[in-house]
Amino acid sequence: MRALAESRGAHWHATDALIRAALLGGGFVAAGALLHHAGLVLLGTPLLLSLMFARRPTGTPAVTVKPLPRTAEPGTAHTVAEVEPADTELVVVRLPGETKALAATTEPIPVEVRRDAWGPGVDLRLDHLFAGPDALHVYGPIVGVEHTRTVLPPLQYFPAGPLPPRAAGLVGAHRSPRPGDSTELRDIRAFQPGDRLRRIDWRISLRTGALHVRERHAEADAEIVLAIDTRSDVEQDVGRWAAVTYGTTTRPGGSLDRAVRTAASLAASHLRQGDRVSLVDLGRPQLNVRSGVGRRHLLRLRNQLVVCARSAGWAQRPFLPHVPYGSVIVLLSPFLDDAVSEIAIHAARRGHLVLAVDTLPQPLKPDTEEPWGEPAAELIAAEHRVRTKLMARHGVVITPW
Amino acid sequence: MVIRVAAALTCLVIALVLRANGVGAIQLAIFAALAVVTVLLPASAAPALVIAFAAVVMVFADGHPLRLGVLLLIPLLHLVHITSALAAVVPVRAAVAVDALKAPARRFVIIQAIVLGLAAVARLLPDGPTPAPVEVLGLGACAVVLGIVALRI
Repeated sequence: MRALAESRGAHWHATDALIRAALLGGGFVAAGALLHHAGLVLLGTPLLLSLMFARRPTGTPAVTVKPLPRTAEPGTAHTVAEVEPADTELVVVRLPGETKALAATTEPIPVEVRRDAWGPGVDLRLDHLFAGPDALHVYGPIVGVEHTRTVLPPLQYFPAGPLPPRAAGLVGAHRSPRPGDSTELRDIRAFQPGDRLRRIDWRISLRTGALHVRERHAEADAEIVLAIDTRSDVEQDVGRWAAVTYGTTTRPGGSLDRAVRTAASLAASHLRQGDRVSLVDLGRPQLNVRSGVGRRHLLRLRNQLVVCARSAGWAQRPFLPHVPYGSVIVLLSPFLDDAVSEIAIHAARRGHLVLAVDTLPQPLKPDTEEPWGEPAAELIAAEHRVRTKLMARHGVVITPW
Repeated sequence: MVIRVAAALTCLVIALVLRANGVGAIQLAIFAALAVVTVLLPASAAPALVIAFAAVVMVFADGHPLRLGVLLLIPLLHLVHITSALAAVVPVRAAVAVDALKAPARRFVIIQAIVLGLAAVARLLPDGPTPAPVEVLGLGACAVVLGIVALRI
């Protein structure tokens, strides 16, 4: 074990090729000399000469990479790896997607990093090895420094629809029930002390014989509450619901992946038009994000969605905190249990507009390896239909993903 | 992959040279098995066995010590040594830049030029028993070379 440990790592050490050249070269020459066989001497001479030409390197070579931003958008990123070759001859670098054996020079090596999947992870680790002349001595292999990153969920801008206004606020894209300064007529009423003279409607005032004023609506922001159900992450194949997935934060195309993508896109669309958006993790209330506006808030929400997905797991009861009156609650869930549908119904009863985004991948594929796979899938689908119908009956607007 | 293909081709040429020099089928089968292991596991002892086996089989066959087959084996066995050494540190699927092979190729040519020069000198020497002083001188030279090599290691 000690010999194995000493034969690896960040120091110069001899390879099997050096031992081979020494033993065979020396052996052939010595045997040839003793047996008076010139051919044997000549067969061993190149091996001995390669040993004499191959000087043991002494420097400390290194590969460093110019770090990339830790938080990134999906796509392709470019950076360079700097090589300090010292007095080596060959460098072998494991780049993302391929391994290259290059002549040891000081020229930087271009590195392309693909960031297709959102979530946290390691996107760059340049394992490398340096070799001296004829690879008789090597430095390494060395495990490179891990560069971690968080790829934010991708955005897809949705068209903005009419939404109920927030109870307070005088600016925004949506009509407020309160009087204000927009162009939309709210009411015509008798003049009261304090009314502005420019609001007097002279035609009606002359017709009725008393002063009347035109009252207009105010425009206000909407308050959007994105409630994401992180308690379960399921995919279309029911047989894989209990399977562990390695290397990804969520199941690709699964319910949680859909929920996070949709939540990020909804947040971006509403924040762009000036609405206030907050995030609620139904399984872990400590991860909630208060409402806010602006680009920095969108960045915060997308980061927090990644955090929510990373810590996703089963929680016994979903919890929706108190939300301001008039808020729009967008509930993203596969609706696999009654607790989450009850939350939607209670919120609708309290007077909120509740939009339920059904993230369950459909149609469900039954587990073919189990004798009860098909009835189980049908039962799950039937329960899901009952829940969505019940929610629709109580005024919850349901949208399939 | 390029380096391993080069090692495999070199072993193939060595096998042809051995066959042309009258080496039997059993020895060739053993050599082929060792060559396959060399290509698949270049960091093992197989390259050493390939070199040793080919050299011993050729040297102890009938014929002049410096016949054409022996002279051909000198660069071929050296090439097996170099390609195996490089293949042992370069992963199979690695893309090998041509520049990375220039220095080993240059060194190979220089060493072969020296060795073939020595072979030419040895070919010119008269056959027969070697005078005792020359033999002592030769052994001394061998000892010096081995000493230098030992210091290098």
